Amino acid sequence: MVDFIQNCLDGVMLGSSYALLAIGFTLIFGIMRRLNLSYGPSIMLGAFVGTLLYLEFQADAVVVAAATVAGAVLAGMYVERLCFWAIRQGAAAASMVSSFAIWMQLEELVTVFFPERTYPFPPLTEAEPFSFGPFFIKVENLAMFLCALVLMALLHVVLYRTRFGLAVRAVSENPLAARFMGINIGAVMFWAFAAASALGGVAAFLIAGADAQITPLFGLWATFKGMIAMMLGGMGSIPGAILGGLLLGVVEAQSLWYLGTEYRDLSAYFLLFLFLVLRPGGLLGHGRATRERAATHRV
Amino acid sequence: MDPYLVSVLSNIGMISFIALSAYLLLLVGEISFGQQAFFAISAYGSGIATAMWGWPFWLGLLWGAAVAGLAATLIAVPTLRIRGLYFSIATLAFAEMVRLIFEIFKYQVEIDGELVGPDGSDGFRDIRYIYDSDISQTEYMFIIYGVLVLVLASFFLLERSRLGSIFRMLGEDPMLTEMQGLNATFYKIMASGMAGVVAGLGGGLYAHLTTYVEPKIFNVMLGVHSLAYGLIGGLGTALGPLIGVGIDIGFLESVRAISGYRMIVFGGLVAVLLIVRPRGLLDERAVYWLRQRVRRLKSDVRSD
Repeated sequence: MVDFIQNCLDGVMLGSSYALLAIGFTLIFGIMRRLNLSYGPSIMLGAFVGTLLYLEFQADAVVVAAATVAGAVLAGMYVERLCFWAIRQGAAAASMVSSFAIWMQLEELVTVFFPERTYPFPPLTEAEPFSFGPFFIKVENLAMFLCALVLMALLHVVLYRTRFGLAVRAVSENPLAARFMGINIGAVMFWAFAAASALGGVAAFLIAGADAQITPLFGLWATFKGMIAMMLGGMGSIPGAILGGLLLGVVEAQSLWYLGTEYRDLSAYFLLFLFLVLRPGGLLGHGRATRERAATHRV
Repeated sequence: MDPYLVSVLSNIGMISFIALSAYLLLLVGEISFGQQAFFAISAYGSGIATAMWGWPFWLGLLWGAAVAGLAATLIAVPTLRIRGLYFSIATLAFAEMVRLIFEIFKYQVEIDGELVGPDGSDGFRDIRYIYDSDISQTEYMFIIYGVLVLVLASFFLLERSRLGSIFRMLGEDPMLTEMQGLNATFYKIMASGMAGVVAGLGGGLYAHLTTYVEPKIFNVMLGVHSLAYGLIGGLGTALGPLIGVGIDIGFLESVRAISGYRMIVFGGLVAVLLIVRPRGLLDERAVYWLRQRVRRLKSDVRSD
């Protein structure tokens, strides 16, 4: 029983990083209705900008964080212009494949400059894990968990309490109608994309900081974990992204403990497959009614 | 022939199968990230048949393709109820499950004092049929292209048949298809099964060329690449995916000057291409235009 609870705790802590990734993913999907496969690699690029400053100039954590976010936003803007803005609305497949092509491009760009397997990243904290009773929690994981909650609250305020958020929701609901209301769709999508990339930059900083290292494989990992967590929670739902991330973390931690390493990813994909076939909307997938209510919610 | 050229051409041929398989699903309007699963199932299936059960090569190849087709049909039943992006992610999840199952799949028998068979993440060694029967690399390349030509011919027949029109109509508008009294789900499952067979033929050929398969080759990168080939080359004709493969492997891999930056060039190229032509180089319109030209040329020749 102690094992089971400890696994759940580990899972929730692991899941916080998935949740952080899924928030940005779901924001982009919510507004574009298209999948951005190069989300992971673009925030990885940000993390490598951070690590470059850390290695070359011994920059402190705040500067590294700022550089990571800035790098992620720049890469995100590049992706948005090339793969989403330039390809017309109907061609969702073309957007997806194009974002995959840019993924390959960003990954190779990073490996050209950083050919090693791993690079150091400024650690989040040196603090010892604290314990209560028989259980342990790592401080950096707790920080990630809290950050995920704070970001979710922040995003909720922006989406439901500001004019920009109203515009985002309008575009997400019906781009054509939004345009008739005088909303500049291109600009709204661009800034929402930039915001999602900034969130991704924060996520990358926290995750790389918790491990105190970064690898060029981070892009692939981030895209897949973020995507699975998003699908489990329900595409386009922000609380769903958090829940999905935590669920994924707990399932991985339990199967790692009870079944062994090789079953960890297998059970994650199995869970995803089951969800897609039986409940494609995910945990908190929006039914039509809730979506309409959210759409008419005024600022 | 130059061995390097032979190996590049053989690679192009084998990857063409999986690209054609993804293309077939694109025709019916579904995006699959998971065709590498059927490639893998058949690579293992046909390898087991020839190396462990002692079957002849052709039988092993057909067996692998049949198993892959069956798996594709079975998996299409639950996944094709869900549409669009959900289907794409479901195929991705399925393919990763298949890969991870092969990571733990062990089935070995002793042949001539040696253990032969899939050994989890260590892969499946000694699929030696081609070498034991003295087929040279060049001859094997012709076998690959022979099978590829057969598959292409069936694609062209398909395009001219009623079934081909139904597939294209499904890709255009499933609702309209249903209104014609056609069962959209049935035809999609059929397309999926056929795509499984096509990918399976490639997988079987692949396993016998390399003599060694390991699960990590069949990762999602292979699947997304094969999907991208169709979209680069064009969705108007079955030659489209082959053009995509040719551009990627044939052109970029052979030009040594950009060897370290291949993906940077390829990625940028694809992104720009998809802006100009979202349905690829040889899209439906281009194919129609070409057909018109050919027809006009023919009638000109006749009137002269």
